[in-house]
Amino acid sequence: MTERVGFSVARVGTIAANTFTESLRQKVFNILLIFALVVIASASFFAEFAFEEDVAVVASYQLKSIKDTCFGALSVIGMLIAIVGTAMLLPNELENRTIYTILSKPVRRLEFLLGKYLGTVLLTFVSVVLMSVMFLAVLTFKEARLSQPAKAVVEQTESPVEKQKAQEQVAKIRAEAFDPAIVKGILLVFVKLCLLAAITLLVSTFSTSMVFNVAVALLVFFAGHLVGLAKEAWQAQPLLVYLLGIIPNLDLFNVADDIILGNFVPWAHVGKVTGYGLVYLSGVLAAAHFIFSNREI
Amino acid sequence: MDAIRTENLTKKYNLGWRKGRFLALEKLNLRIPEGEVYGLLGPNGSGKSTTLKCILDLITPTEGAAWIFGVPATKVESRLHVGFLPENPYFYRYLTGGETLEFYGQLCGIRGAALHRRIEELIELVGLAKARDRRLAGYSKGMLQRIGLAQALIHDPRLLLLDEPTAGVDPIGSRDIRDLILRLKQMGKTVLLSSHLLAQVQDVCDRIGVLNLGQMILEGDVDQLISDQRRLSFTVEGLPAGGRGQIEQAAQAAGAKVVGVEHPQTTLETLFLDAVRQDKRGAGEHD
Amino acid sequence: MRTPRSLAVVLIAVPAWLLTPLHNQIEHERQQFQYGGAPVTRELRDQIGQGMAIALLAGFRGVAADFIWIRAHDHWEKREWLLQAESIENAAKLQPRSTFFWDSGSWHMGWNIARAERIGTNDITIAQGLIRERYWHQRARSFLERGIANIPNRFDLYFKLGWLYDQKLARGCGGDPECVKLQNTKAAELFIRASEYPTAPTYVARDAARSLEKAGDLPAAYDFWVNKIWRDDRRIRTAADRTIVEREIRRLEERLDIPAPSRVFPKTSAS
Ligand SMILES: Nc1ncnc2c1ncn2[C@@H]1O[C@H](COP(=O)(O)OP(=O)(O)O)[C@@H](O)[C@H]1O
Ligand SMILES: [Mg+2]
Repeated sequence: MTERVGFSVARVGTIAANTFTESLRQKVFNILLIFALVVIASASFFAEFAFEEDVAVVASYQLKSIKDTCFGALSVIGMLIAIVGTAMLLPNELENRTIYTILSKPVRRLEFLLGKYLGTVLLTFVSVVLMSVMFLAVLTFKEARLSQPAKAVVEQTESPVEKQKAQEQVAKIRAEAFDPAIVKGILLVFVKLCLLAAITLLVSTFSTSMVFNVAVALLVFFAGHLVGLAKEAWQAQPLLVYLLGIIPNLDLFNVADDIILGNFVPWAHVGKVTGYGLVYLSGVLAAAHFIFSNREI
Repeated sequence: MDAIRTENLTKKYNLGWRKGRFLALEKLNLRIPEGEVYGLLGPNGSGKSTTLKCILDLITPTEGAAWIFGVPATKVESRLHVGFLPENPYFYRYLTGGETLEFYGQLCGIRGAALHRRIEELIELVGLAKARDRRLAGYSKGMLQRIGLAQALIHDPRLLLLDEPTAGVDPIGSRDIRDLILRLKQMGKTVLLSSHLLAQVQDVCDRIGVLNLGQMILEGDVDQLISDQRRLSFTVEGLPAGGRGQIEQAAQAAGAKVVGVEHPQTTLETLFLDAVRQDKRGAGEHD
Repeated sequence: MRTPRSLAVVLIAVPAWLLTPLHNQIEHERQQFQYGGAPVTRELRDQIGQGMAIALLAGFRGVAADFIWIRAHDHWEKREWLLQAESIENAAKLQPRSTFFWDSGSWHMGWNIARAERIGTNDITIAQGLIRERYWHQRARSFLERGIANIPNRFDLYFKLGWLYDQKLARGCGGDPECVKLQNTKAAELFIRASEYPTAPTYVARDAARSLEKAGDLPAAYDFWVNKIWRDDRRIRTAADRTIVEREIRRLEERLDIPAPSRVFPKTSAS
């Protein structure tokens, strides 16, 4: 009778894998088709709004717009998956009473909660990776299209000056299309999605309605983007600013816009923002665990 | 050591803001020794499920405490040797029967070949061999109940808590479940089952307790509780004409009084089971 | 024996407040690196509209700016120059670190709108047209100057402003030699500044030399060709660079009549 049941990473993994499989079979990834549509549409939409004579400038504009749109769609769809996916978890478990069969086994509530959470995090991660691949595909396609005129000049021109200019344009378009720094932007969006998922999970530990969970998560999302402005507006009231400190500042996670513009974003900065997100997220998960372990099921 | 012990187990549900609390279970003292099959009876809403949930720490009792094999229910360790079948169980709809058992087995720390062997055994035991690769979304109520039993048994627990295991299941299904419980008993398992269908409990339980409005109002051995010690009935076959008179006289001579003589009736259930069993095409939808 | 739920707030509040220094450091870095752009004030919201303001508040700054740019394009097609300019200004305000909005925006003002304003309507005199054109040239100039203030670390906008001086402001002098000299000197300064960035293409420096020549300072132009271009590896990257520079130096050596021993490219006996 002296057996001990410690915290088990394997059990967390089992529950996470189960959560992931469940969502896969519910065809959650079908949502990604919307992303595919946005990506394809964006590739042709922006062509007509730049009419400079320099193909590199035209390309720069089109690539920026495509990246902005695709990246925006990636965040929105990622958010949809992270928030809705998480918001469903506990209500479904409670409604189907599957939670009884799990918690009546030697499974800690923390293991259950973390397993569920990591299941949607995995789902979100795979979605973000798939969307990034589509993103890369459209950039590859577009890069080829945009550098076509310059490449033609390189092929045909007799003038070495023309040729050199065209070569420089081709190189510039290539560098802009495949700027590896975008990975930093995607990483921070993913951290932000993990944070939003954790907040949704926290809400669902004390509510039973999925709609409520989603609504509160969206509220936090907007509050998180407004909090920077609010702090500035209420600078005169330190107490208020202090209280606002409890809301995560989601604006910090938006560096993609700047990366797309070619602004330098050092890894050290990315690391700090990631750290901020992870520490905050741990606090949220701790609170979720606290409420969930006291919850009547 | 008792498989289950509760002391003054009391549960008051919070009904929400300003609506007060609802007393669902009051000062329940339960002792179930290892190896016993115990039936918790009572009408709907009498507190049976509440009792089971308290024992499994799914809800926190307002007062009192419960122990499983001497370990406080609040500890994870208390659930090492328990299998639980909830009332009207649903499982992950998108998993197949086999995957469901695999999932629960892994949760209990069983892996690899041992797990697969165990799954085979259980699928066979609950008779779902043909349905193991179908998703649970397409399972009938009875099949869900069987897969539920299988998941409760996956880690070969010493104690089983079954909440209304035969509710909503057809007579063949409930007979199978009863047979299964009897087999578990032979294997030395302790079983606590709740039911509001009294006839079914009778055949399998060693002891029963009756709950009403959250209070235990009756408890005892099944045989003692239901046999009428003052009366005795004979059932005879091939009695010749006039035989009846002789028996009545004999009884009177012994100082007893004959209060009733009747042709025994078969129960509707026996009739149904016999009829189905004689159907050459096999029985029901099972698997 | 249940612990109150409100304790959960503490579990979030404590890490959140412990994070304050890190948060402030990140904010500081964002300001330092000039991430983001204009905050959503009431005035900005009125200008860009409710929908764009919401997109902005939800963190979709780039998308909002792109759509405002498309709006600028719509105004161009409807010949609404002032509205077009306002949309351009707004796009640049939202993403002041975007070279494209400054670059292409100034090109719209200084080239397209300016020209359209000069010749676009029948009921103005030529003089009036020129005045309008100059207004847009100046607007493009001040717009680019603001762009440079926002993106001082890239060659693009210095080059663009130099180009504006060269193509529009110097040509708009109406033959006044002092003015031509002044504007071309400005252009040369800007081209030189642009050429100092390692990412600048080699033609930038050559434009600087040409502007010096247009400003009338031939010796300075020759000196630049020889010492700042020909003798600098960064300016001669390809055979094409070499050909052009050699041609220009030969031409200036002829014009300035440089004595044979001092020439970089002495006359070959054949010629
Ligand atoms: N979460 C709950 N909140 C409030 N009342 C509840 C809750 N769960 C059960 N009850 C009430 O407690 C009583 C006992 O319920 P239960 O134990 O489920 O009964 P049984 O299983 O015997 O049918 C019922 O009257 C039921 O309505
Ligand atoms: Mg019940």
